[in-house]
Amino acid sequence: MFACFFLLLTAGLFAQEPIRLPAAKPSDCAACHVGKSPLPKDHVATSDLTMKDCVGCHAKGSPTALAGKLPLSHVHQLSGATCAQCHEDPKNPEPVAKAKCMGCHDMEKVAATTAGVKPTNPHTSPHYGKKSDCNLCHHQHERSENYCSQCHKFDFRLP
Amino acid sequence: MSDNKDVIGTSRRGFLATTGKVVAASVTVAGLMGMGEAEEAKSCASTLPSKWDESYDVVIIGSGFAGLAAAYEAKKAGSSVVILEKMRTAGGNSIINGGGFAAAGNPLQSAQGLKDSPELLATDMIREGLGLNHPELAKMVAEQSWPVVKWTIDEFGAKYQDHLMQEGGHSVPRTYMTPTESGSEVVNPMLEKLSRMGLDVRTQVYVERILRDGVDGRVKGLQVRTGYVFPKTGSGKVKTIQAKKAVILAHGGFGQDVPFRTMQDPKLTATMDCTNHPGATAELLREALRVGATPIQLSWIQVGPWGSPDEKGFGLGPHFAQEGAAMFGIWINTTTGKRFISELANRKLRADAIMNFMNHGQKCIAIADDNMQGGVKHLIPKLLERGVIKQYQTWEEVAAAYDVPLDALKKTVADYNRYLAQGKDEEFGRYLNKEAKPLQLPVYVQRLLPKVHYTMGGVNINVKAQVTDVSTDQPIPGFYAAGESVGGVHGAVRLGTVSGPTCLVFGRIAGQNAAAEKPWT
Repeated sequence: MFACFFLLLTAGLFAQEPIRLPAAKPSDCAACHVGKSPLPKDHVATSDLTMKDCVGCHAKGSPTALAGKLPLSHVHQLSGATCAQCHEDPKNPEPVAKAKCMGCHDMEKVAATTAGVKPTNPHTSPHYGKKSDCNLCHHQHERSENYCSQCHKFDFRLP
Repeated sequence: MSDNKDVIGTSRRGFLATTGKVVAASVTVAGLMGMGEAEEAKSCASTLPSKWDESYDVVIIGSGFAGLAAAYEAKKAGSSVVILEKMRTAGGNSIINGGGFAAAGNPLQSAQGLKDSPELLATDMIREGLGLNHPELAKMVAEQSWPVVKWTIDEFGAKYQDHLMQEGGHSVPRTYMTPTESGSEVVNPMLEKLSRMGLDVRTQVYVERILRDGVDGRVKGLQVRTGYVFPKTGSGKVKTIQAKKAVILAHGGFGQDVPFRTMQDPKLTATMDCTNHPGATAELLREALRVGATPIQLSWIQVGPWGSPDEKGFGLGPHFAQEGAAMFGIWINTTTGKRFISELANRKLRADAIMNFMNHGQKCIAIADDNMQGGVKHLIPKLLERGVIKQYQTWEEVAAAYDVPLDALKKTVADYNRYLAQGKDEEFGRYLNKEAKPLQLPVYVQRLLPKVHYTMGGVNINVKAQVTDVSTDQPIPGFYAAGESVGGVHGAVRLGTVSGPTCLVFGRIAGQNAAAEKPWT
């Protein structure tokens, strides 16, 4: 009796939690977000949309910008990067080293893009230069964080 | 409960007699996980695993100056080495520090006609440390202070300015500064060279247990959590790491551990900011004490007088307040408009004075003009941009901005300028820098806020960097320590910029001696 109740309870919980399906189409939200859409009710249908389409409405720096709202793994997926491009074995994923990120992103270019950010460029620091691991701040499967803020009052907004 | 207390008491007095039984009875238990916490807590000895997950000659905990220096020496001596770091980045507080290294009797001093010697540095350290310093440890640091700076240049290609800095309590300017005034310019070349030697820091490894054998009393390894995510207790996977020669503690101080630091010094409550990174906590010190290390001078915790309320943590303010205002300007109490101390007094005297004023609702500011010398000049734009310092064109503006009595302020400046002209500070006897010029408008001003900075106390070591046993005063076999984790070098007050040399000097000693140990079998 107790066991049955426990099973029901956990099954109920799992229905709320998204599952990770490496084979799912990136724009098919419902494939992973079973039972509960993460989007507002009146959101346009996402099927066949790419990241470029998303940004068409959710412009960078605008009030509806997706920075901090859409997990970076989704940004990557919607931009055409698959699970297997980052993880050797998507079914049993290991943490990704910076070298993998640098396969697509050039560190010099990244640092140049944010050269004007105040109060300081987050992609080069007096402590770590340009060698900081991307994952210190830019998490893929959980909310990103401002690693610098553990010692500084730098109000960076980051994807 | 009372039984438990008795066992702890006897085990400390008769270590070998009591703890030997614990291990003998449990050697057959596979791994550590079979043994309950309560059982293990009975003694400072631990159950050793029958099979270790990893094995090295020398296991180093911490990746700041001390840990990296130890690793370099041990590796060079042919030992297999691992450096464990609990945080997600290597370098500890060393990679965020101010980049100053006191070096007594250095070539820059000779070129400028400044007389100095290791004896004078040791005298400064012991005088300001109220004689609580262990003389042999202080002297070791003083003697090696210039050689170890030279070592960073020769071995790692570290670069320094050609301008000497002076911190409080030092008789003369003797401090080498890295070009951008960050310790990272020494840490990063060390990390790079170690990496080329095949030794990369293992980040996100949290040490849960130091494993000391109850039979021979030797420290033989660690129980750690790999993949640990600070500060999530219990994150990561439990593993055991064998140290065939030695474990070296280089985990730093506990300035950010509010409960522990408040226990040692009740004044240093959570309301105080701290210059350290958030991982500077006390759990490994507690663990070292649990396995029998001797604690020393834990209550002597340094508060840096030069912090700013207009930025978090260490920031940039200390550079301006020290290298600008303390060397080439003045510090004043805004209520009186007067200087209140030699700006080159040691950190404790200055911080205590400011905190006492603050307790009476009074504030202090640091003032300097464009004549300041050295690398701090290059930091002025950032300091202004971040609002840590402000520039004023008239003394009236300064008086209005900080509510200072104008006449008193003007008199203070005139007096200070007169002291410079006559070469003698009549009020406080401050060392007057050869390059100092009369203070003139426009000036920069920083508000001062003391912040918790450094823990002088830690585990007790001898000159070989061996940790001593609280029950016997003898070295604990296979157990070394260096850097801020160690107490007794600085006594009541660590002089500014002596931490870097202390970490490097004892790190090297620990690494060399650990590598020379005979492996246990």
